[in-house]
Amino acid sequence: MLQVLKTLRWAQPVRALSSVTTSSAATNVTTTASVPEPDKLFSKLEIELRGVDPAVLKSYTWFATTAADHLGIEKGKCWSPRKADHERMTLLKSVHIYKKHRVQYEVRTHFRYMNFHKLTGSTLDTFLEYIERNLPEGVALQVSKTELQQMPEHLRQPPEQV
Amino acid sequence: MAASLTRFLERSQRTTHAALSSVRLFSNSNQQQPQPEVEDDEEFRVLNLRPVKQQFQRRRDIKRDDVTPPRTTRMAVDQDWTAAWPGPRSFHPASVPLPLRQGFTERGAAAPSKFANAELMKIPNFLHLTPPAIRQQCEAIKKFCTPWPKGLETNAKWRTHFPLEVITTDYCQSLPTVRNPEARRVTVSLKLSDLKFDDHARDKFLRLVGERYNKETDVLTFVTDRCPLRKQNYDYALYLLTACYHESFITEPWEATKSEADMEVYLFERNQAKRSTEAILNWNAAENAQKKSPSASYAQSVEQLINEGENEYNLAKYKEEVMKMLNVPTQ
Repeated sequence: MLQVLKTLRWAQPVRALSSVTTSSAATNVTTTASVPEPDKLFSKLEIELRGVDPAVLKSYTWFATTAADHLGIEKGKCWSPRKADHERMTLLKSVHIYKKHRVQYEVRTHFRYMNFHKLTGSTLDTFLEYIERNLPEGVALQVSKTELQQMPEHLRQPPEQV
Repeated sequence: MAASLTRFLERSQRTTHAALSSVRLFSNSNQQQPQPEVEDDEEFRVLNLRPVKQQFQRRRDIKRDDVTPPRTTRMAVDQDWTAAWPGPRSFHPASVPLPLRQGFTERGAAAPSKFANAELMKIPNFLHLTPPAIRQQCEAIKKFCTPWPKGLETNAKWRTHFPLEVITTDYCQSLPTVRNPEARRVTVSLKLSDLKFDDHARDKFLRLVGERYNKETDVLTFVTDRCPLRKQNYDYALYLLTACYHESFITEPWEATKSEADMEVYLFERNQAKRSTEAILNWNAAENAQKKSPSASYAQSVEQLINEGENEYNLAKYKEEVMKMLNVPTQ
């Protein structure tokens, strides 16, 4: 099992730019062989968009999924709830009196969700940087990243002495 | 008549005399400073309550440059649109060669055209993110991407090598601050079957983690948000996992005092049922003879009967085991 893990760690992709930068630094300073930093692995990237204008959210979703297609990222479920979230405020129409007459103000927030699967750390950074830079005005983005990690060394075997 | 006439003359003479004397009173001041005379020829200003229309003044013509025709008229049909509209920008009618119309009108009328149309300028446009532009940009950044490693295609495959899942959240928003307090939250989850336990440690570990263990999915989840930074929360979650794991292998002295009333499940081994069964099996046996012990299947059936409750299956199983153990022939 350990052997498999070790071989796997070397088989794991290294970060796209780290090897370049470290190797150039190494040539400048010393000629020691630089150990490339292993890349992170993300099984799932969940993006939540919220905005006032559903048309803008739709266009942005189309943009992000198209970019994911070009970058070779596996797409998951992309969906949006059918109704917007209404945040209502009900106030008296008059200042103090006439309690039966009210006005309602409301803020509608539309949501949209996108899922992407199986990204390496450098792919995820590139993709997120690209789509976050192109985020239109009045749209908020929430990114949930599920990172995969190996079991820490001290948890693989039961403790010998306690 | 004559008398009254003379009296009038006298009076007039007197008045002229007084006038003369009064002049003489102020004479010295008059000689030094001649009194400023009010000009009689100037008129009073007139209050114009109802202004009469003045003579029409010709407005000066402001010189304006000729309006240049929109840029779209000079655009080639096969132009590079990504160069014409390279970045995000609000809508400009003269630069977009599309016959756009937007806005509300009365029924039957066409929507307002794109020129001087505020509706088109309000909404953020994606004219800089046309399909060719996305393709170009993605090709440029594709060199920073790396493919998913082979051998980890399915969930089951990557779970064997990477059992730990760490969920973090990032926010991109248009608030005055770039920080979101929710971004510090870290969720660490793993399957309990990935940790190695003995019976006592497993029981103690489940008691320590409590609500964080989901019995249905066998998933253990630590959610930490008490530290201000994400790194600290991640470290704290791993610390919790480690501490609980190691603590569960410690047997405290007071744990030996666990009595039968404290047990969560019925165990055949430490109960009266075992002793009674052994007594029955070794009835009238010689002192030196080897003691018979009840079979494992009988022990299991008793445990099932008490732990899961009396149902048809468990009772039938128990009956069968008892008859087998006592060598009672079945029919």
